[in-house]
Amino acid sequence: MTGELSVAMQPGRSAISGLLRRLPEQLMIWVPLLLAAGHIVSFALWTIWISFTPSTLVPVSGWVGLRNYTAVLATRNWQIAFNNLLLFGSTFVLLSLVTGLLLAILLDQRIRGENVLRSIFLYPLAVSFVVTGTVWSWLLNPGLGIEKLVHDLGWISFRFDWLIDRDMAIWTIVIAAVWQSSGFAMALFLAGLRSVDNELIKAAQIDGAGPVRMYRRVILPTLWPITITVVVIQLQFAISTFDLVRALTNGGPGIATQLPALVVYDLMFQRGLLGRGAAAAVLMLLILLAVLLPYAAWRFVKRRQAGHA
Amino acid sequence: MPMTITRRRLLAGSATALALPALVRAQSGVKPRLTVISQWSAGSDGAAITALGKKFEEKGGIWQHSPVPGFTTEMMNKLRAQIMAGDPPACSQLKGPEIAAWSKIAPTVDLDNLVAAAGYEKVVAPDLARLHKPGGNWISLPLQIYSTNMLFLSKRAMDKAKADKIPVTWADFNDLADKMKAGGVAYPVANGGTRPDDGQKFEAALAGISPAAYRAAIVNLDEKALKGAEVKAAFVQVRKIADWMDPNVGAQHFSTNLKRFIEADMGMMIQGGWAQGVLRNAGFKFEDFIIAPGPSDNGKPVFLLNADAFIFWKRNEPDLQAGQTLMAQLVMDPAIQTMYSQITGSIPVRSDVDLSGAGWSDGQRRTAAALKDAVASDQAVLSLAHNMAQENGMTAAMIDVITEYVKNKAMTPEQGVARLSDAVEGAR
Amino acid sequence: MRKLSFEPSRVLIYLVVSLLAAAYLAPLVVVVLNSFRSNQEIAQASMIGWPKQWAWSNYAAAWSGFCVAETCTGIRPYMLNSALVTIPATIISTMLGAVAGYAVSLWRFRGDSWIYGIVTLGLFLPQQMRLLPWTVVLRDIGLINTLTGLVLVHTIQGLSFTTLFCRNYYAAVPHELIRAARIDGAGFFRIFWRIILPLSSPILIVTVIWQFTHIWNEFLYGVTFTTGQQQPVTAALIALSAAIADIPQHGVQSAAVLIAALPTLLVYFFGGRYFVRGLTAGAVK
Repeated sequence: MTGELSVAMQPGRSAISGLLRRLPEQLMIWVPLLLAAGHIVSFALWTIWISFTPSTLVPVSGWVGLRNYTAVLATRNWQIAFNNLLLFGSTFVLLSLVTGLLLAILLDQRIRGENVLRSIFLYPLAVSFVVTGTVWSWLLNPGLGIEKLVHDLGWISFRFDWLIDRDMAIWTIVIAAVWQSSGFAMALFLAGLRSVDNELIKAAQIDGAGPVRMYRRVILPTLWPITITVVVIQLQFAISTFDLVRALTNGGPGIATQLPALVVYDLMFQRGLLGRGAAAAVLMLLILLAVLLPYAAWRFVKRRQAGHA
Repeated sequence: MPMTITRRRLLAGSATALALPALVRAQSGVKPRLTVISQWSAGSDGAAITALGKKFEEKGGIWQHSPVPGFTTEMMNKLRAQIMAGDPPACSQLKGPEIAAWSKIAPTVDLDNLVAAAGYEKVVAPDLARLHKPGGNWISLPLQIYSTNMLFLSKRAMDKAKADKIPVTWADFNDLADKMKAGGVAYPVANGGTRPDDGQKFEAALAGISPAAYRAAIVNLDEKALKGAEVKAAFVQVRKIADWMDPNVGAQHFSTNLKRFIEADMGMMIQGGWAQGVLRNAGFKFEDFIIAPGPSDNGKPVFLLNADAFIFWKRNEPDLQAGQTLMAQLVMDPAIQTMYSQITGSIPVRSDVDLSGAGWSDGQRRTAAALKDAVASDQAVLSLAHNMAQENGMTAAMIDVITEYVKNKAMTPEQGVARLSDAVEGAR
Repeated sequence: MRKLSFEPSRVLIYLVVSLLAAAYLAPLVVVVLNSFRSNQEIAQASMIGWPKQWAWSNYAAAWSGFCVAETCTGIRPYMLNSALVTIPATIISTMLGAVAGYAVSLWRFRGDSWIYGIVTLGLFLPQQMRLLPWTVVLRDIGLINTLTGLVLVHTIQGLSFTTLFCRNYYAAVPHELIRAARIDGAGFFRIFWRIILPLSSPILIVTVIWQFTHIWNEFLYGVTFTTGQQQPVTAALIALSAAIADIPQHGVQSAAVLIAALPTLLVYFFGGRYFVRGLTAGAVK
């Protein structure tokens, strides 16, 4: 379908003069793309190389085989971080989807003050993670924040001490992360809701569908493509979550809320073990590929189908 | 043939001899300049290094300080970037065994002559001196000392416990904590819960139980000592300390508890000497608390050393070299150390500084006296929690276990011992 | 669809929205209140509380008073540094991303989906992992410790996001439009300039907002690749929290945080409407 637009270089008689004529546009196409793609590929390869070297404070050459990998995999920090990523990643993505969708549906009810409300739900995106992590560490601390407030109001038996509970602390990160980024999901869903075809809604109304059925049967199914986008973006957020955790729990209580990004930074820079940190980073990339490849394959299949249709 | 070589040498020699006065003139002619990287950007740390910079300028130097705010890690990132770029600062903050580790990745300056001229070596605690000359030569200079295991007692909590004796041993400490609890102090221990804070609890416990075992297990990583009875006893003591703390403190900084400490909702704090400055800057009065050396079972003070230092990186520019000389002289100068410590609340590295003057607090005098006693009885040891005993990788692996132990009440002392020695094995 | 009657379900909607809004505002309220409490008051009471005495001086101290190392200029000069990095990096990465997205989506060429895939992968490369490679690159091109170097880093890293979103946006542009223009003899740039760019404001607003906030709030590269007086505002904010022998400067810090967040908050406040609109079109499909 896009064949006519192809600028793929066909070997032709005037190939060289054509190339020269098209040089500026070729430069404009390729320079940014190659910079973007090139730095990603070369940085990834560089990290893979470092993960096989005995580097400590600074990169050095040498070969230690898989020693860095076995060392990282053997630490409790990594094991905990890996489990946390699965738990945190899945619940965070799910919750921010649900919260974002709820906010979007609420804002779509033609309510007063929509502009102000939208800004309120979006503003956390504008603030740095270090700041929000710190503030949440106060709010969620049972001795300082919400629990104390409720106690002061008279409800003494109220408990909300997840921050200091090793088994629950990871959920405080989920809370802060959902708070910080659900506005993005809301914005996307709201955009989707606004572009639902009015004819569809009218037809459903004529059929006598109530609001719940309307959403379930008519409106929500049209949001699928947006849901995929939200999942991809939030997944990226989950995997690279770093500043937020460092300010909120710094991996604690104990090492209960370690996450891979934290382990990578910690090994590379705090502990001065570049080789091991690089190995952890490569492991992180592998986790990422395990998630992204099915998605890429799904897109590929879908596009094929669309192409044949 | 040998003849020519000799002649050549002779010529070279005479050339040097001729050039020497000119060289000296050139060197004394340049204005000393110093590029410095540190994380001391604000507060009393910032004020202290600013004052040092002023002194440097008064001596005719150009002071180019580039603070890197944040954790030590960020300062190290900056230092690493500069070293990789072939442009290390003339002088940078670095401490503990990291001095030895970093000195392997870039050439440093041999300060032996300057140290000898200042007579510095004999006034520095031996364990500390060793850290600053990793290859046998002085390449870095300690600037100020803190003890990480001072004992802070809330006066009002003491009143509630009807106690007036400062605890000396861990048994005394435990006894007083029980009395405080009985007297209505809700939480006899007021520490915070950050990683270094948890590490401090453990190192204070082990060094207080046996400085020799501490040195063997933590500093020398002796396998037998790591699995020894003293380490287990330290874990038992840490559990007691953790049980006396408010669980709600979580990972907060100790300064969040200061009000409750002063008002006797909490009783004691095992904290670095810097806590004195924090209390003072928060507006609390010295009458409301007592500072004493941390518990020591043999009765003689145990001093857990934490010292900030500067390392000097090799530069070829004559003005930077002149700046390094001037800086080294300043750092070793008793007057400068006095000025610095009076701003930050630390004590001077030099054991010959007189602390009787008005600029010093009782806490500082007590800390300095404790250091002198501890050095005399060989009980001044290097702090693990503040990166003085091991390189960062090993320290972090050990603190992982300790902080998990503090936060996880289900973990037994036996498990603590086993995991600690596993962690050491894994990080070796 | 608007009902004039005040039915219970609408009351419920307003109730839920208000509760959620309150929850979203809570952290901001805490910071705003702290920005009016003195450091000592916070240290002597608690991190959360109502100001006993309104300490307006926190704002003066934050803006132009407190000292970072030897200079006592508050966050003012650091705000300027951040602007000097953020504005060029945002503009350049947005423009390059728009051209690249346009090329990938409308001018198919061999290997485009591969390159596109790699660029997308760039979104997921953790920042910590890229720190050292950037150190090597900046060293080799001699831009370490310059704001130009920092602009370069943020521009190239931003390309992943800007290219991705622009590509998705342009994918919806009717191909007939381009084809007609080509028949009329318009080339790559002419089509971009005359047809594509005028259509692009919704997506450009999205990428500008995104890039601006991300670069403005960045800390790790900011402190590693600059020196002394060039540091970004995030470094100055952290400086306030890093003194060992001091009470944490929560009061002044809160005021500084609010001032430093003002540009990004304003961007979201005024751009929020367009943000939603642009995302509609730029979503991955």
